[in-house]
Amino acid sequence: MSLPVILGINLAILVVLGLIARFVQSDPTSKGGFNFNYTTSDLVILAVIGALAGVINTGMGNIWYAANTISPIYGAALQGTFMWAYLLAYFLVRKSGSMLFIGLVEAAMEVLLGNQAGVQTLGWGLAQGLGAEVVMLFCNYGKFGWLVFGLAGAAASQFGTLWSFVLYSWSSLQDYLIAAPINVISGFIFSGLLGWWLGKTVERTGLLRTTRRE
Amino acid sequence: MSEHSLQYIDNGSIFNRMDALSKIVWVILVILVSLQLKTNEARALALAALIVVTFVLARVPLRSFLQSAPIILVMGSLLFFVHLLTAPSTDMIQIGGMEFGKQGFDKGLQYFLRVTTIVLTSFIFVWTTNIRDLMVGLVRIGMPYRFAFTIFMALRFLPIIQQEVDAVKAAHAIRGRAARSPWAHRFRLWQRYLFTVIVNGLRKAENTALAIESRGFGAYPSRTYVKDYRLTFLGVLIVTLFLLLGLGLLLWERGLLAL
Repeated sequence: MSLPVILGINLAILVVLGLIARFVQSDPTSKGGFNFNYTTSDLVILAVIGALAGVINTGMGNIWYAANTISPIYGAALQGTFMWAYLLAYFLVRKSGSMLFIGLVEAAMEVLLGNQAGVQTLGWGLAQGLGAEVVMLFCNYGKFGWLVFGLAGAAASQFGTLWSFVLYSWSSLQDYLIAAPINVISGFIFSGLLGWWLGKTVERTGLLRTTRRE
Repeated sequence: MSEHSLQYIDNGSIFNRMDALSKIVWVILVILVSLQLKTNEARALALAALIVVTFVLARVPLRSFLQSAPIILVMGSLLFFVHLLTAPSTDMIQIGGMEFGKQGFDKGLQYFLRVTTIVLTSFIFVWTTNIRDLMVGLVRIGMPYRFAFTIFMALRFLPIIQQEVDAVKAAHAIRGRAARSPWAHRFRLWQRYLFTVIVNGLRKAENTALAIESRGFGAYPSRTYVKDYRLTFLGVLIVTLFLLLGLGLLLWERGLLAL
């Protein structure tokens, strides 16, 4: 099983999830478009969520490692639990690149808190962040409904396995293909829907008006 | 949280005196070499060299190393046992009076040595690198300083989050939360902890943003630093030495270099 094959499979999954996100209705929507104009408030929000997710994910990481060592299939069921913060951050900040950025911040926190993969944890932050960004890019960063968030979570979860493959040199294509739908479902629920739900709950507190400036 | 073993150790060692960017290049170099090695003998030599680096060049205290050893070893050990027990083998070997497959043992050892080498490399980086120096270095090679500052900020929030969790737990206890409760109830409690911590964190974020903006943060496209980044001769020397060592090891295991 070679890297180009796995990369191809993952890119195909990303494109399919992105196309679904583009063509389904997922309200609320905005005019969308690239917006890299981060305020200081946005950056501090990303720092807070990154720190919190770093603490939680370092603990979750140990459970994932144990499951994943036995088989990528077991790891896949938990793979989706790591990216809720990416979607929450995007919900609150609503800026292009925020999921990739928080992926790196959160992974950096994990490195410093003692993730077993050390500095290589950043690879997951990068891959997972990119996966989520691609889905949002397909809908021009203009949809904020639960379905699109679920799809972005699914994409992040699946694309993260690319780095696991590189790091642990997985050899069974059959296991990888069986794990893929489990990864996608896990990411959809535990990252996408959880991130969206947390965002909506924060929105209901009224706190969002003071933290998001658009 | 601040007392865990994986933190920067400022002891004036050779690795402490290397600049942060050279150390990043060193980490990438060691990882690339370890992924290219084909024999367990060469992998064991690479790991032995890293252990020498840990204690001689980085002067990591034995206590810190031993405290981190479970984290460093657990992943490699898990992979070793899984492959030892599951990989198909044609030949058998005796270990401690028990029979195991030779191919499974070799494959398990391969994973153990490779993963342990990679993890130890990044731990050496964390032990010997001041995050502030790393961030200044990253800014010097083009990272916008406001983004680099976000990582500082996240680090600053780590102990605050721990305090916040403790405060929420105490508040729940005062209101009569049962010390022992069924799993479903505990799950609901953690759900509440998480949400409360997020909301309190966001409130603090708003105040922090106002405070740092009022001090002029982000007003200019660049900023100055008390301790600026500069490439060190030591950094270049260590990276060059390890490049030569890595090439030597790769050529030796392929029989292209006789010792």
